[in-house]
Amino acid sequence: MKRSLIAMILVGGKGSRLNEITKDTAKPAVSFGGKYRLIDFTLSNLAHANIDVVGLITQYEPYELMNYIGNGGSWDLDTIDGGISFLTPYAKSGEVQWQKGTAHAIYQYYSFVKQYQADHVLILAGDHIYKMDYQKMFDHHHLHNADLTIASVDVPIEEANRFGMIQYDLETRMTGFEEKPQKPKSLHASMGIYLFKTDVLEILLQGIGQEESIDFGKNVIPKAFKEGYRIFSYPFEGYWKDVGTIDSLYQANMDMLDDPNFLTLNVSKGIQVYSKSMNLPPHIVLEDGIIKKSVIADGSIIDGTIIHSTVGYQVVVMKNSYIEDCVLLPQVFISENVRLKNVIVNKGVIIPENYTLIADQITVIDSSNLMEVGGIDE
Amino acid sequence: MNNLFMVVDATIKGNFNKLTRHRMPGAMPFGAKYRLIDFTLSNCKNSGIRNVAIFPYGNYRSLSDHIGSGDRWDLSRRKDGIFILQPKNLNLKSEDSISFQRMYEHIEYFVRSTQEYVIVSPANIVWNIDYDDVLKNHLLRQADITEVLSFEGQRLKTFLLSKTTLLSFIKNYDDLQYRNLTEVYDYSPSINKNAYVFESACFFIDTPDDLFKANMALLSMDIRHQLFNPQHPIFSKETMSSPSRYGDESFVKNSIIASGAVIEGAIFNSIIGRKAIVKKGATVKNSVIMNQCIIEGDAFVEYAILDKETKVMKQAKVTGSSEDLFISEKKQIVVGDEELNIVQIAVECEPFVKTGGLADVVGALAANYSKLGVQSSVMMPLYPRIKEKYRVLLEMRAEAIIPYGDVKYKATLYSYLDQNTNYYFIESYDFFDRDEIYGYVDDGDRFAFFSKACLNFIHIFDDLPNVIHIHDWHTGLIPLLVKNDEAVKSIKTLMTIHNIDYQGIHPMTILNKVGLNDINHYHQSINFMELGLNNATTISTVSPTYHDELRYEYYSKNLVEIINRRDRDFYGILNGLSDEIDPLTDLSIKVPYSPKNVFQAKPLNKKYLQQTMNLAVGDEYFVMGMVSRIVEQKGFDILIPALEEFMSQPNVEFVLLGTGEERYINALKAIEAKYPNRMKLNIGYDATNPNYIYAGADAFLMPSRFEPCGTSQMIALKYGTIPIVRQTGGLNDTIEQFDSVSKKGNGFKFYNYDSRDLIFQLHNALHLFNNGEKQVKQQLIKNAMASHFSLEVSAKAYVELYKTMIGSSNR
Repeated sequence: MKRSLIAMILVGGKGSRLNEITKDTAKPAVSFGGKYRLIDFTLSNLAHANIDVVGLITQYEPYELMNYIGNGGSWDLDTIDGGISFLTPYAKSGEVQWQKGTAHAIYQYYSFVKQYQADHVLILAGDHIYKMDYQKMFDHHHLHNADLTIASVDVPIEEANRFGMIQYDLETRMTGFEEKPQKPKSLHASMGIYLFKTDVLEILLQGIGQEESIDFGKNVIPKAFKEGYRIFSYPFEGYWKDVGTIDSLYQANMDMLDDPNFLTLNVSKGIQVYSKSMNLPPHIVLEDGIIKKSVIADGSIIDGTIIHSTVGYQVVVMKNSYIEDCVLLPQVFISENVRLKNVIVNKGVIIPENYTLIADQITVIDSSNLMEVGGIDE
Repeated sequence: MNNLFMVVDATIKGNFNKLTRHRMPGAMPFGAKYRLIDFTLSNCKNSGIRNVAIFPYGNYRSLSDHIGSGDRWDLSRRKDGIFILQPKNLNLKSEDSISFQRMYEHIEYFVRSTQEYVIVSPANIVWNIDYDDVLKNHLLRQADITEVLSFEGQRLKTFLLSKTTLLSFIKNYDDLQYRNLTEVYDYSPSINKNAYVFESACFFIDTPDDLFKANMALLSMDIRHQLFNPQHPIFSKETMSSPSRYGDESFVKNSIIASGAVIEGAIFNSIIGRKAIVKKGATVKNSVIMNQCIIEGDAFVEYAILDKETKVMKQAKVTGSSEDLFISEKKQIVVGDEELNIVQIAVECEPFVKTGGLADVVGALAANYSKLGVQSSVMMPLYPRIKEKYRVLLEMRAEAIIPYGDVKYKATLYSYLDQNTNYYFIESYDFFDRDEIYGYVDDGDRFAFFSKACLNFIHIFDDLPNVIHIHDWHTGLIPLLVKNDEAVKSIKTLMTIHNIDYQGIHPMTILNKVGLNDINHYHQSINFMELGLNNATTISTVSPTYHDELRYEYYSKNLVEIINRRDRDFYGILNGLSDEIDPLTDLSIKVPYSPKNVFQAKPLNKKYLQQTMNLAVGDEYFVMGMVSRIVEQKGFDILIPALEEFMSQPNVEFVLLGTGEERYINALKAIEAKYPNRMKLNIGYDATNPNYIYAGADAFLMPSRFEPCGTSQMIALKYGTIPIVRQTGGLNDTIEQFDSVSKKGNGFKFYNYDSRDLIFQLHNALHLFNNGEKQVKQQLIKNAMASHFSLEVSAKAYVELYKTMIGSSNR
């Protein structure tokens, strides 16, 4: 069935800067804020915008992500014609088609776009924490009869060198574009969210298969700008975090702790962030549990002290353990007399008795590096 | 694949009072994030059952919303799956357990199910059971029917049997003497029975206390492990709250907290539901807080069940006890120590003037309010007989000239303060200076004028009341008058229905006379009760079951639509019995007694009764007593044929004290003539003190067609005389069927208004009398005497209701 708008989510990136955390899992499946996965935010935004055809392009360790998303029912994406499709690497004429950049990924699965004869394609990332009404972006796109609309968000000047920076005029039409500038001409960072007219996208993607690496930011946008297409920016206001590094993952967790209304996660108005229910019992605080300024997910059992930390589902914290400024990913087991500060504990790690790690900078504890980064306090 | 299918009995209403006003027990929140039915459905999934039928009663919106397609329990399937089989005959009321009649409505479901065996189990059991184990046991024992019992021997209304056997009961429901599987198990002699004892944790949730205890049990790790076995997980509807959030000052000990909760205060030994908020300075102890409740700063909550979305305001105190839990209603706003100020308005009130039960209730409530420290007053007309008796005590407070129609009448307000209750009397020579209370052609005018005068005087009170509580039709105009009076508009009104058969239909012109002109009515007359029910903030009646019955036209007649329209504002509060009624202090009976000497005293009183009534004397006789008006309502249409048959039993005696309709009296006299030594009628109700019957009889009959509340059965219980009643109105709420196995229950009751069903229970009682073990019989009498229906409890329930009314801002 024909659609006016479909979405493609790029989750192919290896997430190597997240080290151990993405060792066995794709970046969008990384846990956040106790019970969420990064992909929840993008899928929930889609559900809110009633976009029900979604292609999810995945490459590294897709199993956990696919298993998590299932048929997409948790985000109402289990519709009869449409819903969510996993677009995974495949062998074509004897050669495995690994993706060579964001634009190349779309190029590879262009047949998916054609199948729905969509007029517009929304290209999203799977590892952003934000609430955005894509329908408003779509309206903005229509209003300006844009060939391409790029969502942008204002960032502090010192962060500009991490992003593609956009300049735009009063009508929000793009007037310039710089990739990771040291001295930015504007503070409008591209969020990596693109809304294309399908025919324009098709022309832009033609013949790119030959090149080594093809990204939207590096290659496609400058090309489109040069060729005079109508490119607009959709200025987004609100919380937005691209979780690409350990520090940004940690920081996003702390942002959640410090803002009681973080992304209005508990409000049942507007965009609601859906997450696949793990079907766990509620958490329990035992006699010696002390919890302050923290969030705790279902299925956890707390008998120690937790200060200013996020605690994932099915975490156990035993007596006399002290956890401060930490991110405990799901299914972590903290034995008795453990001291942790400024630490991210990777999913499922068992911290032995009397273990201590008071870190100066944010450190990830994984079962592989447990004894290197910290030690048993005798 | 499993050879079992499941019938979820969600027809059980339980005794939850407020908690089931907006839902059925199966949909009751439990354990912070579950609903009771999650356990049964998860057990189905874990036992490999793929074919489940739910039989709900009443308001199952909440349940069906929770279940959805059933996919959470793998029950959204092409073949089989989950079916909600709604009641077809809406006149079938809820019962103790699902009847064959109810199943017959959906007999196609049973016929079509392909599994050979069926398990019938209620939606309100918290357990983690493998039904397949029950089936294996059933097959091993080659039983016809297997009942599942808890490890403590508690009955769980859970039965397993073959589909063929169940179908034979369903198809023949009309000819069977058993209404449901419990009765088959208990009474059918020709069936091979088997009991399967479930050895793990198990909670049958039938009352708020059960719900509270089961929630608290979750705080035990052992119980949690038994219920939340990871191999057999309990599934619930998917929700999307964020993880629970704790603030800087949160302090939580030994508690279960669901997701989305925001905890800034202190919590001890409690269960906190999803998205509940406990603000800074608030304390919650030993309580069950359901979803989305808000406990504001510095509030204190102890031993409470707070239903969904209850809001406890700043500094408010909610203190129940382990015996007497505080229970809020959904969306209730619990205010602080705000002063209640109640005015009851009625046309009769004990001890001043009384014609019936209405006066008892009004007087008893007023007396109990002052005991509870609630400021209250009563307004009533000043009848000459009151003035004579209380002349010296009455204090004149005000005089007014009150226009009524084209005439202006003088009215005088007197008051009399007794134990902190102000009794106000309105004197009017034109309307109330008469010998009788009722029965004049101008009754409509009299009570309309009274209503108008009451409001007139309320204007000049120092403090406006916050609730006006009116009783029956006489004061039915008051809510409308309040609504149309700017100065008192803010006052909430509660109308209590004592008997819906008396409605007060009077000429339309009365509305003009009281000054209500622009009422759009097509009729020539007005119905006082109808106007009251339409305009009161809240309405109530005198027992929970009568409340339920009034939804049906059979009981509420012409007012059925209004009752149903006002369902959300309609409550049932059971009346109590005065503590002064006590066989120990009763000087009118032969040998006064208490539970301590009842087994010595009762035979002596029985002998006295037999002698007084000229009956054959002997302890071997089973003496049935009855004290009643002899009218249709009291069940004489089924009693007379039942007596004709049952009196043929050799050791049965029957005494009746009462007065009433000739046709019944004549029929009764015909039977009396047949059994002169064993049956005696004492016609002349008003003249005799009936207590020797209560004291001397073994059983007390009340086969009423309807009974809003009834007090005779409460008196009988107190006198250790076993009531045999029809399951209607207050009779249903006060009598619990005696079960000789568990030795629980305080009487016998039957459901259908049918002499055959009455005879069945008469035989049941007689069988126990003749053949029962002494210890079992004595336990029944002890149970009866221990049943306590106090007016203080009723008064407390009304006070809670007043608070709910004041707290509800949306009206």
